[in-house]
Amino acid sequence: MNKLYLGAIVVTALMLFATYVSFDFKHGSSDIVNQLAILGAVILVIATIFVVVKYVRQMQTDTASGDLMEDNWDGVGEYDNPVPTGWAIVFLGTMIWGMWYYLVGYPVNSYSQIGEYNEDAAALNKKFEEKYKNLKGDELVNMGESVYLSNCSACHGLSADGIDGQAADLNVRLEKKVVKHVIENGSSNNLVSEGMSMPDRNGLFNANTNALITDAEIDSVASYVANGFKGNEAGAKVFAGTCAACHGADGKGMEFVAPNIASFDSSLVVNVVANGKKGAIGTMPKITVLNKKQKEAVAAYVQSISK
Amino acid sequence: MFHWLEKNPFLFAVGVFLTVAFAGVVSILPSFAQTSRPVIGTTPYSTLELAGRQVYIKNSCNACHSQLVRPFKAETDRYGHYSLSGEYAYDRPFLWGSKRTGPDLMRVGNYRTTEWHENHMMNPAAIVPNSIMPGYAWMFKNIADIDTAYAEQLTVAGVFGVPYNKPVPMADGSTKTIKMGKTVEDARALALAEAKLVAADMKNQDVKDMVKNGKIPEIVALIAYLNSLK
Repeated sequence: MNKLYLGAIVVTALMLFATYVSFDFKHGSSDIVNQLAILGAVILVIATIFVVVKYVRQMQTDTASGDLMEDNWDGVGEYDNPVPTGWAIVFLGTMIWGMWYYLVGYPVNSYSQIGEYNEDAAALNKKFEEKYKNLKGDELVNMGESVYLSNCSACHGLSADGIDGQAADLNVRLEKKVVKHVIENGSSNNLVSEGMSMPDRNGLFNANTNALITDAEIDSVASYVANGFKGNEAGAKVFAGTCAACHGADGKGMEFVAPNIASFDSSLVVNVVANGKKGAIGTMPKITVLNKKQKEAVAAYVQSISK
Repeated sequence: MFHWLEKNPFLFAVGVFLTVAFAGVVSILPSFAQTSRPVIGTTPYSTLELAGRQVYIKNSCNACHSQLVRPFKAETDRYGHYSLSGEYAYDRPFLWGSKRTGPDLMRVGNYRTTEWHENHMMNPAAIVPNSIMPGYAWMFKNIADIDTAYAEQLTVAGVFGVPYNKPVPMADGSTKTIKMGKTVEDARALALAEAKLVAADMKNQDVKDMVKNGKIPEIVALIAYLNSLK
């Protein structure tokens, strides 16, 4: 037994002791992962010491033998020994693995950020659709409220009052100035279907007087509509003679012809959210980030607050 | 076999360098060129938009607002499609930002309007309660620097080949041509024509009057820039 073996035993004992101290047996010994970790640490310590001792011994006792290669560099030569078998197998194996990884492993199985995003988005969309497939009534309104608060309130305001005329006041169906603007300028917002636009005042006949609509008539019909289709007899007459032909006697609109101007209906709100609009107040951009259910929810919310 | 090479260390070093450099060039450059190519639908900035971009930089908007939508569902739900590197092809420098005190502005042109920006830039808290963004009232008075924007256009067109006055392909198959003036007077006229379109949607009478008199306040240039972010 020489000094080397003695030193190895001392170091092994010290390292095992350090492993023991650093491992909290009181709390962690029942955990299989901890047990495996400590086992691994013990094996690592013993294997390391064993390998180090073997090579140090070899350096101390080994002598060089065999034929030298032809090439030598300033007198420093190299033995012409065969490649160790284990090493050669690992070397060739690495080359084969490299080919596989380069041609198949990486391209086929590679991670991509966009790939992960696509999977995430598809999974979440599916979950959303399943969870809210049959959403109705108050729950739809609740969803609409949260969608409204995050996507619409920046312009229409937290209380949906349009922030002093900067956007449409959604607590009422139409404001008087909006009605007047539409009658005077027409509307090409195609709110019910492609290509159905409302003519401006030069295309609006009053059947009662058999003439184009006049300023006074516009004013009275605008008050009538903005007031929720009541009050104002004169306005009611103008409405019946001019507007009812398309918007219906009660202002509820006609499918494919004219939008509902008596109240917000779901298809109207969904249409405006999907396509945006330009009118008396300004331009509303289309909101592209919402899905179908969310648009319906916003419509339900707007209906609920405009009552 | 390679004794002659090993006996010439300098030549050997040069050979190693050339080999490694060639490998780098063929593996890095093609994918770099691919991703830095403008995305279809990305157009160069007009003179007025570039002037607005300078206003944006001058007021350090990028200190609080990022311009980079990351590929996370929560972000794409809020801001729209995640950003692609080719969308920054004409940004010199890019304004990704590194901090979101305010919301991301990468696609703000899709969901905010001229009127909204006008009201908001004057007094943000009046539009968004609890907003900590300060008002930028001076932008309604300061005159935008169109000449510098034109100089920038000339530079990027000359040095980087930014396609001004050339048809640029759009997503729907059509093309769009972003004009750049031949002279600085031309550029001023183009910027003013664009400013008039923006001012038509605005309500502030002082701003409207300034544009009518041929002056372009910073707010008009900034709004033109923000509207171009899509």
